[in-house]
Amino acid sequence: MVVANTAQVETESTYSVTASSPVWASHLQKSFGKAQAVRDVSLTVPQGVIYGVLGPNGAGKTTTLRMLLGIIDPDGGERSLLGETVPRRASNRVGYLPEERGLYPGMKAREAIAFLGALRGLPLSEGRKRAEEMMAAAGLADAIHKKIRQMSKGMAQIVQLLGSIVHRPELIVLDEPFSGLDPVNQEHLEALIRAEQARGATILFSTHVMAHAERLCARLSIIAGGMVRFEGTVDEARATLPMKATYIARQDAEGIADHLPDDAVHEGNSWRFTVPEGQAERIVSALIASGHGLEGLTMQRPSLHDAFVKIVRDVQPDANLADTDLEDAA
Amino acid sequence: MKLAFRQIFIIAWRDFKAVAGTPTFLLFLLAPLFMILMGIAGGMGAGQVASSAASVTRIAALADGTDADRISAVHEQMRLIMTGEALPMLEVIKPEADPEKQAARLMASQSVDYIGVMLGSMNQPRIYHSVGAAKQGRYLAALAENAERSRIAGATTGKPLTRPQLVEARAAPRSVGGKQATASIAVFGIFFLTLFLAGQGVGMLAEEKSNKVIEVLAAAAPLESVFMGKLVGMFGVALLFVGFWAILGVIALSTLAAGMPLPFNPAVPLPIFCILFALYFTTAYLLLAAVFLGVGAQAATIREIQMLSLPITVVQMLILGLCTTAASQPGTSLARFAEWMPYSSPFAMIARAANDAAIWPHVLALFWQILWVGLTVWIAARLFRTGVLNSGSWKSLFRNPLRRKNA
Repeated sequence: MVVANTAQVETESTYSVTASSPVWASHLQKSFGKAQAVRDVSLTVPQGVIYGVLGPNGAGKTTTLRMLLGIIDPDGGERSLLGETVPRRASNRVGYLPEERGLYPGMKAREAIAFLGALRGLPLSEGRKRAEEMMAAAGLADAIHKKIRQMSKGMAQIVQLLGSIVHRPELIVLDEPFSGLDPVNQEHLEALIRAEQARGATILFSTHVMAHAERLCARLSIIAGGMVRFEGTVDEARATLPMKATYIARQDAEGIADHLPDDAVHEGNSWRFTVPEGQAERIVSALIASGHGLEGLTMQRPSLHDAFVKIVRDVQPDANLADTDLEDAA
Repeated sequence: MKLAFRQIFIIAWRDFKAVAGTPTFLLFLLAPLFMILMGIAGGMGAGQVASSAASVTRIAALADGTDADRISAVHEQMRLIMTGEALPMLEVIKPEADPEKQAARLMASQSVDYIGVMLGSMNQPRIYHSVGAAKQGRYLAALAENAERSRIAGATTGKPLTRPQLVEARAAPRSVGGKQATASIAVFGIFFLTLFLAGQGVGMLAEEKSNKVIEVLAAAAPLESVFMGKLVGMFGVALLFVGFWAILGVIALSTLAAGMPLPFNPAVPLPIFCILFALYFTTAYLLLAAVFLGVGAQAATIREIQMLSLPITVVQMLILGLCTTAASQPGTSLARFAEWMPYSSPFAMIARAANDAAIWPHVLALFWQILWVGLTVWIAARLFRTGVLNSGSWKSLFRNPLRRKNA
């Protein structure tokens, strides 16, 4: 379901999506030389939600975020950031954590956070004060006066994230925020993102780790091959695939397969198969009526990972999804 | 606009602290001291070599009686005006029975290096000199000439026949030559300061590019603010450097050269000339550093940045050549060209201040130069955005900057 960008779209949730949403883009395009990084991206991020931009490596996620933020200009299409058609005009209301982390190695953590806040209009003294509070809350009180070069990669990443939110922005854009973090710091980061949402901020983040998206996102877009292939909620994404069922017959006899879908596989005393859309009730009824009985039946909804892989494989059969894995999420 | 200025200040302050707050800066600050010390050490070494050579090098005059006195007296007089010349010690030796043999023996001496020997009468002296010592031979001839003139004038010794009165003129006249000398000194002064300091602009963005901070800066602030902030930050460092040495220079001059007239004779009053010097140094630094910043920002690696230093120095030398020529030809079309061309304008205008008393052209020139600082930064930022960040097409470089963008 690719969103209609210009008109108001009522969703199943309580919010409404309009062109005055914090982030809105219509048919963005961007090429680097002959390579077309983004072919057609349209998306609308509702106010106050955590919104995920998912896609395999090279899908165009980072380029899309950079265009939305005004770091680079699109070749075509329109965009709006916090109501500004020139994104830079909203820069002091936006926080951004780029994919390639960058801090001055010689700066102390507190100064780095205050510096990043000051670039967005926060007075340095206030930035320092908030930096101390935020670092203490993140369990980094001991590292306040440490230089960035003396910190671990994970700690530096948390410092940069704090720097991107120290000015309390309305919109927070995080590009692959979990990459390179250990499980403990990933937990910290998830908590931080949730806290920012609770404060009222809208969060837009890109990832190729489905577990984070599944846990955090109210809505998401899946980008592949430079285009948005899906837009909706996590449940809507999962619903793009049929449910999977595991059936255990009371009497395991011949002829069961006749009542099951073609992909049914017999494993031990159970049968596994996918349930075609709207066919669950008919299959179960047929199995009971045929006398095979029902010892056990589990119906499993596909994961976001499954949905993601299917959506990407549909448009990029040769896509390398090796690092797009649930295991990444620890 | 207020936020943009704030961002410029924040970036400038960060850069200033990052440079001025390191031990390396102390080395940079004291580099001229090392140059001075090396100069002194070199001078002392050269002096020692010269004096040790002089101690074994001699010229000799074979004379006795009043001739010997006259030659010694004339030598003492001529030494006063031969300061700095490689003038060997003179030995006046009583001639032996065969002066020719005596001269030959002296020239062949292994213990003392006689490079010139004079013998015979003063009105018809014979002078031997070694290879490459014709100058010292001519000096011996001049000694004989003056000693003979002294004898003809009736003096019993070679003491001076005249009594000149030397009066030091305290106020130097504002001559054309003096003004042009002032112009040249000022042009060289600003040139060397910018040569040492502005060239650093080429590597200003290297740190941000290598540690990926540029993305954070580009997302938070317009690139024009980022570039201007870096420029102002580095100018702050340059100002600290110049200020430190200017104060030391003033202290040294007021202590060591108190009461001596300054070697400056500008057409405008000296205090205004000093203010203009400071202002034109500022604009010269900002203009050239902005160009170097823009060029350096396009470089992908440190090696590329290093490779750029040669063409940059060549460009600076071209500007120096243009401006020194213009300084020696005030009022010509070449001088006007140098004054109008933005990147040579500060140098040419300080030369103009030395040659021409009018003040208003400087107000105009300063506005013109500041406008070009802004334009250069704007172009550098656009080139960076298009060429390095790959934002927009090359056509967008020529888009009207005042037109509002819709997307």
